Amino acid sequence: MTELLRILLAPLVWLVSFSAIYGLHGLLCETAEGSFAEFPVQRFVLLAAFLLAIALQITILWVLYQPRFAAPAGLLRFVSRAGGWTGLVATVWTLFPIVALSTCT
Amino acid sequence: MRALERHRKLTAIWASETGFKGWFSTVNHNDLGRMFLFTAFFFFIIGGLLAMLIRVQLATPNSAFAGPEIYNQIFTMHGTVMMFLFAIPTFEGLAIYLLPKLLGTRDLAFPRLTAYGFWCYAFGGTMLIVAMLFGIAPDGGWFMYPPLSSAIHSPGINADFWLIGITFVEISAIAAAVEITVSVLKYRAPGMSLEKMPIFAWYALITALMILTGFPPLILGSVLLELERAFGLPFFQADLGGDSLLWQHLFWLFGHPEVYIIFLPAAGVISTVLPVMCRTTLLGYGWIVSAALALAFLSFGLWVHHMFTTGIPHLGLAFFSAASTLVAVPTGVQIFAWIGTMWKGRPELHLPMLHILGFFVTFVIGGLTGVMVAVVPFDWQAHDTAFITAHLHYVLFGGFVFPIFAGIYYWLPHFTGRQQFFRLGELAFALVFVGFHVTFLAMHWVGLLGQRRRISGYTPEDGWSVINLISSVGSFILAIGIAMILIDVLLHIFTARRSCRNPWNATTLEWAMITPAPAYTFASLPLISCRDPLGREPALATALARGEGYLGVPREGLRETLAVDSASGRPEMHVLYPANTRLPIVMSAVTGLFFLSLLLKFYWTVPLALVGVIILAWRWVWSLGLRDDPAMQPVGHDLTLPSAATAERAPGWWGSVFLLTANGTFFGALLFGFAFLWTVAPGWPPPVWFKPSVLEFALGVAGAVIAPLAMRRAIRKNRAGDTPFSNVLIALFGIAVLGITCAALMMRAPAPTSHAYGATLLVLGGYGLFHATVAALMSGFLATQMRLGFTSAKRRAAFPIVALWVKYASITGLIILSAAHLPGMLS
Ligand code: HEM
Ligand SMILES: [Cu+2]
Repeated sequence: MTELLRILLAPLVWLVSFSAIYGLHGLLCETAEGSFAEFPVQRFVLLAAFLLAIALQITILWVLYQPRFAAPAGLLRFVSRAGGWTGLVATVWTLFPIVALSTCT
Repeated sequence: MRALERHRKLTAIWASETGFKGWFSTVNHNDLGRMFLFTAFFFFIIGGLLAMLIRVQLATPNSAFAGPEIYNQIFTMHGTVMMFLFAIPTFEGLAIYLLPKLLGTRDLAFPRLTAYGFWCYAFGGTMLIVAMLFGIAPDGGWFMYPPLSSAIHSPGINADFWLIGITFVEISAIAAAVEITVSVLKYRAPGMSLEKMPIFAWYALITALMILTGFPPLILGSVLLELERAFGLPFFQADLGGDSLLWQHLFWLFGHPEVYIIFLPAAGVISTVLPVMCRTTLLGYGWIVSAALALAFLSFGLWVHHMFTTGIPHLGLAFFSAASTLVAVPTGVQIFAWIGTMWKGRPELHLPMLHILGFFVTFVIGGLTGVMVAVVPFDWQAHDTAFITAHLHYVLFGGFVFPIFAGIYYWLPHFTGRQQFFRLGELAFALVFVGFHVTFLAMHWVGLLGQRRRISGYTPEDGWSVINLISSVGSFILAIGIAMILIDVLLHIFTARRSCRNPWNATTLEWAMITPAPAYTFASLPLISCRDPLGREPALATALARGEGYLGVPREGLRETLAVDSASGRPEMHVLYPANTRLPIVMSAVTGLFFLSLLLKFYWTVPLALVGVIILAWRWVWSLGLRDDPAMQPVGHDLTLPSAATAERAPGWWGSVFLLTANGTFFGALLFGFAFLWTVAPGWPPPVWFKPSVLEFALGVAGAVIAPLAMRRAIRKNRAGDTPFSNVLIALFGIAVLGITCAALMMRAPAPTSHAYGATLLVLGGYGLFHATVAALMSGFLATQMRLGFTSAKRRAAFPIVALWVKYASITGLIILSAAHLPGMLS
């Protein structure tokens, strides 16, 4: 089970943060009708969530590289680290639009 | 004992009943895998004939071949049959047939479940085909969007056939997925660690996990839509607090992963066959496993790209557009690993290899058009045109049908024990390849010229006539090609010469046996020390036949195998399988009665069917009980193992974990739906809110807390040698209280037919009640077993399983009660 967890953790966290931030955007837009132009707080919250998600991924990746927590050498270690990288890259890439876009429509 | 004598004895133990009767009582994966594949190809032919009808209709402008009503049924059934009755079951069949052989064991984890899944599939599929023969087939497109598919706009029974029939078939997918997951994790040859697993097993494992998390949203959507159609609960009706977009979310939460559920097993076939065709080993095993995993995950973050034109916010568009482009990366990693494998080896152009090349060309084109439609502005132009239909066929035909043809030709000698003889296959491949590309390249083109999908006709002025005619001609070339493949395969089955044992010189375990495969699969189980066992030890097959592996001594009437530790492959327990039985087919017939009663609105037979299912399920599990403590079992090579009935984590526990994973996804999707309606749907807040009750809430919480604690105590006491009868009864009582509070929630849900809020509470309460009932039945079962002496400190496997279900019912019950009562209490 820990083997499985090591492999699945980072992508799972990506899936959760991706869906959560998508939902968060919807909720924030309930309060800011149309755009965030006059609502810097909402925009700030989204950016903070984005950074938090990245920080989480970096932490997971870091942990996967620590000898104390890493999987036993061989395939499982390789796959778990690949999973860690997948989570990090996916987080940065798929949530990047937060930096560029500030509308609700 | 001589090899021949061992063969005779094992065959007597494992064989199904002879003749026709055997089909109904067999639980052997050899039979069921074949039955699955055969049935799936039968449906492929039906789906293919429907495709021909589509192309006949579209061949000329103003076609009078079929009217719109019939045409709608034709394309809906084509899509539905291909996706649900051909593609997924083909994967199930292939995995069921191959996995035990690749993994070096004798059968899958739950043989009776395999049979149950098959019969659910066969009956559910038959329901849909019968509907079609009567001209009342579903006609809302394969994704059944409401409001088109709701009772107001589709009043007939057509849509119900889809919702109920597909849900019935889905049971079989979930059953197979649980089966495959547990088998890959626990049922392997000694020494086969995860690292040494054949690559197909990784793909099967990942695909099965995706089925467990991908299908539940669709099952939920179908249940909700059917409830709306049959009882007027307005989940998707915008004027009553519902939202038709909720369906799109639920459908595509399933629908996008589905595409990868179809592609990944095919990729598994390629990763298995390609190295053999190139006389080398697979390049980048670890990369491929990682890429498949990444693909599985990313595919769950793409669903909104099917909804780019529904007017969702730009940021959402950007998120899902980005995710959709990203998914090309792991796919690319696999493609490059395969190209590298070809580079490394010496490709030989046997028939399977031709189909693999067909796959490469077609799938890469499909992937590129996929990246095109991932770009939002392009998708706005191409959405719902023939360009999309062309794209999806490049991916599905290229990414599934070609690899499966490769697989068929590769494993045909294994199925039949014969050698390819005629050379019809090469010509057939050429026709399929040319026909396919003519058909669908043309459809890209005509789509860009503006031809919408799902139209039954167009006028000459549209300027699409010539291209459509070309496309239709291409589709007939394609059809002739597929017919020739069929003939080729039949000729092979009936006329070809006997082949030698391992005709391709492959290195995976499925070739370490006589072909066609014997009922017992392996005469004795190998000890695995590398990924290419036959490469290292070419004479392995004879050694195993001579009984030199594990479990080489047949014991009277016992179907035996080993289960291993999932990571290391160290032998862990000794497993006895159930023998032939008609229970699965009877159980699925009764399940079918349940669905049919709902469909035909014979509501008085619904409870009958439910009681039937309960009784049969009781018998099903009861037969596993042991009266005495099983002794340690010698399995050969000086190894003795405990029986699975004495394990803390028995196969049934693993099965429950994965079934509950699927169940939890279903529940999560339901909560998502509730939150979605609450925040996004128009028509909120509801006219009346639910009246919270402190008493009901407190009672429910108390029940939900007491029950799992009591079960925990029961496990401890049982381990210490007591008979914790009273603890199990307390758990039963706690869970019953929880169930009653859920029932109260259902009774008091405010006006379920006039607002989606009350309707959702009703469903949530029903979910809680259902699971409380299941957990209560299981506790009751356990209590009965204890009374009659079927448990002991050693025979303890049932306790953790019941505890798991009790815990699940409690946690979900707590969430349900909180969702219903807390908002009112807090405000
Ligand atoms: C055997 C060759 C095939 C041909 C000639 C063919 C042809 C077609 C055509 C022309 C349509 C468009 C119908 C319309 O928009 O009016 C269509 C739709 C579709 N096809 Fe195929 N097809 C074939 C195989 C497959 C396979 C193997 C699959 C899946 C594994 C598949 C899945 C679908 C789906 C999902 C749709 C969409 C149905 C809908 O719009 O509701 N097809 N097919
Ligand atoms: Cu998609």
